[in-house]
Amino acid sequence: MAVGITQQTVPTSSQQDDAVIVVDQVSKKFCRDLRRSLFYGIQDIAADLSGWRRKSESLRQDEFWALQNVSFRLHRGEALGLVGTNGAGKSTLLRIISGLIKPDTGSVRIRGRLAPLIALGAGFNPILTGRENIYANMSILGVSTQEIKKRFDQVVEFAEIWEAIDAPVQTYSSGMAARLGFACAIYTEPEILLIDEVLAVGDARFKAKCYRRLYELRKKGTSFILVNHNPQAILNTCDSAIYLSQGKLVASSDAETIISQYEEDLFLSGAERYPCKLDLPPKPPEESLGLDVTSLFFRGTQSEILESLRSGQALSFCVVCQARQAFSGITLHLSISKIGGEDSVGTILYLSGDNDNIFFDMPAGSHEIQLQLPYLGLEPGAYTMKIKLKKDSIYSFDVVESFRFTVTADGKMSKCRFYQPRSWQLVSSPLQS
Amino acid sequence: MPPEIVYTPESLLKRPHLLAHLMWRDLLASRELAWRLMVRDINAQYRQAFFGIIWAFLPPIVMAAGFTLAKDANVITVSETDIPYPAYVMFSTALWQTFVEALNGPIQAVTIAKPMLARVNFPREALILAKLGEVGFNFGVKLILIVALFLWFQVPVSWMVILTPVALIHLILLGTLLGILLAPLGVLYQDVSKGLTMLTGFWLFITPVVYPIPKEGIFGLLVRLNPVTPLLVTTRELATTGVISDAGSFWLVSALTLLGVIFTWVMFRLAMPYVIERVSS
Repeated sequence: MAVGITQQTVPTSSQQDDAVIVVDQVSKKFCRDLRRSLFYGIQDIAADLSGWRRKSESLRQDEFWALQNVSFRLHRGEALGLVGTNGAGKSTLLRIISGLIKPDTGSVRIRGRLAPLIALGAGFNPILTGRENIYANMSILGVSTQEIKKRFDQVVEFAEIWEAIDAPVQTYSSGMAARLGFACAIYTEPEILLIDEVLAVGDARFKAKCYRRLYELRKKGTSFILVNHNPQAILNTCDSAIYLSQGKLVASSDAETIISQYEEDLFLSGAERYPCKLDLPPKPPEESLGLDVTSLFFRGTQSEILESLRSGQALSFCVVCQARQAFSGITLHLSISKIGGEDSVGTILYLSGDNDNIFFDMPAGSHEIQLQLPYLGLEPGAYTMKIKLKKDSIYSFDVVESFRFTVTADGKMSKCRFYQPRSWQLVSSPLQS
Repeated sequence: MPPEIVYTPESLLKRPHLLAHLMWRDLLASRELAWRLMVRDINAQYRQAFFGIIWAFLPPIVMAAGFTLAKDANVITVSETDIPYPAYVMFSTALWQTFVEALNGPIQAVTIAKPMLARVNFPREALILAKLGEVGFNFGVKLILIVALFLWFQVPVSWMVILTPVALIHLILLGTLLGILLAPLGVLYQDVSKGLTMLTGFWLFITPVVYPIPKEGIFGLLVRLNPVTPLLVTTRELATTGVISDAGSFWLVSALTLLGVIFTWVMFRLAMPYVIERVSS
């Protein structure tokens, strides 16, 4: 078990619920400057050895909080997703839980045998054979030789390397080595499993096998913490999730809520949120061409004006315009492009009444053109829309260069570039006998 | 319900009973892993070397050949040794090598295991024990050379030879203790391993490996103050003449070594999490 980290064996108290991990107000600080970081390390060791209280709750020069006052619980048999961008403190949290490094404030309580699936193939020696490495690796992960002998066949079976088991690991393909590492780790049969983005290894078929195995373990009552950049994996595997951002726990709830919040932040990172409504000041008569756009917004199914848009939502895009005299053959063009992100590649949606052969006749007065969209197909993100009011597709009355709006996620949009309206059904035919 | 483990920022030194309990538990828990690691390292070491165990023999032989030639040519003058000079140099060099291996072992083990240390929480004692085992194994190989040597030069052996392992273990422990003391620092700063290479070069010079203990002068004082001297000399004397020249110094250094091992072990345990924190991933 852990070396040098304060551990105490406390008799089981009856008020304790079935929590297997209790993280209470845990903070951890790191230093960005390497030289200084090493020096602080020496300082901390000296403080610990002299038994003096090291001032762990305040920051020294160049230090920052990698984790700050994080608290959560993991219950027996529960699967908890841990999401956050790079550098949010996910790995640091897992390393404190596994007892590798000491927290700077707070405490972590663990009940049960814990195995990190962080270190695939820890201690693999490329010169030695797969067989020898299985023994070394599983010993490091805390399995006794007797147990390794018992599980050996299962490990090799799972890793699918029967034919290469007596070849040196350096002759393995990277996929084979990764499979072997995963197999060793997962057959340690722990009560709590910490999984840090390791399922990215191997081909799709092996990945599916890994998830099946995780599912089996869960049914046996193993508790999980799953760290993953892939929200779908968390949705599939976890009941609840916590969301870390810059070392702080920003939300903790059921997996679906957390993932949709995470996705929203991820898609909109950097971009500001735009109100989904634009009111234009009235034009002076000398600038007007007779038909002016005065206002742009979206309406929901109850005709209410929407303040935010969601992928897949049913809505209408509304353009309010003011006609100073009667016109005929009025049509609307709009082109939408995405703001920011690596995929700002110009127009992604172009709709025109011209193409759809829709022309309106407008008497003098105020009008509202409604473009009804049964499903908003745009993926979450920030967009800008250019609108033109035209007559007979040649003459432009008014142009709005940029109407900005934001689309948020519905929690099911990971890996999707657009919203696909859908319905499912099962058609079965009885067996012919 | 399994027992609860708690991690807090506090120093374990404030709870000495718990610390002692954990150290004992981890020592027991690490035996099997240490064996595995040792087997792994020895296997890898010999599998990738064409000459295999010949490497354990070569340094003492080369050293002895060089010094014997130099002595015969009167380039260096060495006072009379208890046993034939080539045997004296070869045996002493084997002992010295074992000491240096024990000294470098913990630093090497911890440095190589860095990625493993940063990711898996296993009893860190296993790394040290595995290295100790490797040092023992390598000495065992050298023992073949030493036995052959004693037969060839017809070195007389007294019954005291059965006590040799005691002195040898103390010699190895002294090296290990210094190694453990430096290991956490060595992971953080490369200066440690660089400085150690230089230091062992000088250290060999003031240890009676190629010459018997000088009686007078500043050099004689330096050699006698060197803690390796009584351990190495006693080991050699037990194996050959059976007459111990300086039992007092031997027991003093041995007692300090045994106390020091406990002290450095505690230090190592307390320091490792801070070290891992600074180097990891």
